[in-house]
Amino acid sequence: MTAFLVVVLYVAIQGSFQTRARISDTFSRQSTIERSQIELEELLRLEIDEQNSLRGYLLTRDPFYVEQYRAAAAGFDARIATIRRALQAQQLGTALQALDQYGALQVQWRKKIAMPLLAHPGTDITDLDKSNKIFSDYENEVVDSVRSDLADTSAALAASTKAQLIRSAYSRALWLFAFGLLAIVLNAFRTRLYRELEQEKNTTEVLQRAFRSEFVPLPNCDVGSAYLSAGSHVAVGGDVFDVYRLSDELALVLIADVSGKGVDAAVLTAFIKFTIRGIALRRREPGAILAEFNTAFAQTVENPYLFVSMFVGVLDTQTFQLRYASAGHDSAFVRRSTNEVQQLSVTGPVLGVMEEPFGTRTLNLEPGDTLVLATDGLTEARKRSGEQLREAGAMRLIERASEQPQLLADELAAQVRVLGGNRLRDDLAILAIRVLPGSGADA
Amino acid sequence: MRRAAFLAVVLIALVLRPAAAKPAASPCMSRIGQHVVLYSVSDDPQVFVFDTKIRLRDYHAASVDEMQEIAKHAWLVAPGTRAMIVTCEPGFVQSPYFSRPDDAIGVLLLTGSHRGHTGWVLGSDVRGVYHDIHR
Repeated sequence: MTAFLVVVLYVAIQGSFQTRARISDTFSRQSTIERSQIELEELLRLEIDEQNSLRGYLLTRDPFYVEQYRAAAAGFDARIATIRRALQAQQLGTALQALDQYGALQVQWRKKIAMPLLAHPGTDITDLDKSNKIFSDYENEVVDSVRSDLADTSAALAASTKAQLIRSAYSRALWLFAFGLLAIVLNAFRTRLYRELEQEKNTTEVLQRAFRSEFVPLPNCDVGSAYLSAGSHVAVGGDVFDVYRLSDELALVLIADVSGKGVDAAVLTAFIKFTIRGIALRRREPGAILAEFNTAFAQTVENPYLFVSMFVGVLDTQTFQLRYASAGHDSAFVRRSTNEVQQLSVTGPVLGVMEEPFGTRTLNLEPGDTLVLATDGLTEARKRSGEQLREAGAMRLIERASEQPQLLADELAAQVRVLGGNRLRDDLAILAIRVLPGSGADA
Repeated sequence: MRRAAFLAVVLIALVLRPAAAKPAASPCMSRIGQHVVLYSVSDDPQVFVFDTKIRLRDYHAASVDEMQEIAKHAWLVAPGTRAMIVTCEPGFVQSPYFSRPDDAIGVLLLTGSHRGHTGWVLGSDVRGVYHDIHR
């Protein structure tokens, strides 16, 4: 639809330029012909000047008239050449033919009438009178023919200009009507789409709010989180995080990002959250949890293009040992109490793609260390220049953020919003868990 | 009743038919007996007075060389020569150079060296009352 609108606009603009060029060309032709008409009248004046100068000389024998005659003859020749060029350029064959005839007649008149009289001024002009009259009559008829041809062409061009202007006005009105109509249809279509998208977004947000955990406090740990939705024109994504106590000591830590968006993705986040909780209650090995979920996901979700990146950790809140597995989820970091930030490695492919084993890693946290988990809304956040933040940029932000986990999460979210000029391209979920200083072995 | 109507239609058709078939001829603008002055609108205001209307017509459709031959059968009279119209042939003179046919006017010359002679001139060469009517 948009492409068609662009085509309509292009054709309308192009058509306007073409019409303008055509009208300009017609005006130029008309102007040339009008100039030729004026030149033709001037040519007739020069012809009469030639005749009158000759008569003046025969009556007075004053050489002044001979000069006048020659000047008029030279002017006549120059003028006829100018008109000839103009008629040739305008391809007015009939007029050109008549003009050539006129020029030839004038030459003949000079030879038969003017030259003998100039050479022998005493000659009785009665004999030449008839010849002179014949030339005069004939030249008049020929010039009338040129004049009429030029007038006809000028009238035809004027009519053509008028027709082009009328055609152009109708054509422009038609194209504008088509453009306007399409724009109205497109706008209605767009408005409807936005309304549907907004409804879906609202539904999704309600679902996500319902599925998001109310964290249960963890012993010796402080938890913070943030969630940012993308702009109103973008469907809500499938970001999910969870902190769930599996036992008195152990806690499940989860963050995941579903590849799709909208209600389906939001519903899937609920599936992820509660399925992982269920598996984790039976299995404590994060790699095994991911492997079992991978099988369940493949059997439940039929869409082959849906996949999930996920980080699952089981944290011992007494020893602060974190055992984790990462299914293609690279936005997982630990900030040590020394403020050094490390990225936690990925231990397997994204879920829903292939049957692969998922490795489990162990990370020993110390009091003051903070585990920072995020979705790709952090690492793929774009600056206004279009450049992505990437992992290095995310690590720099984490390094500079506050120690308190909720403040840290809020600051990271705020930074991402500022970077994108207050426009988010993707949803963002952040989960931060800090081992409280002075707890555990230090206590 | 129907027969009467049919007869009426036939009668109307018979009455109208000759009028519709008759070609529309433009009337000659000169009046027999009218006194006029001869003056040519070409660059040379002298007027050719031809001995026949055929030569007058041929002259205006001829080439220069042919004109030379035809003009042998014409007098060249000075502009301002007075004449009286004795006859007129409407639209008789046709030429590829004319936008529309011109009249052939039979005149009796009243002044000049050819006084008393009759001949044929072009409608546009006739001035005076005739020309005023033409305009």
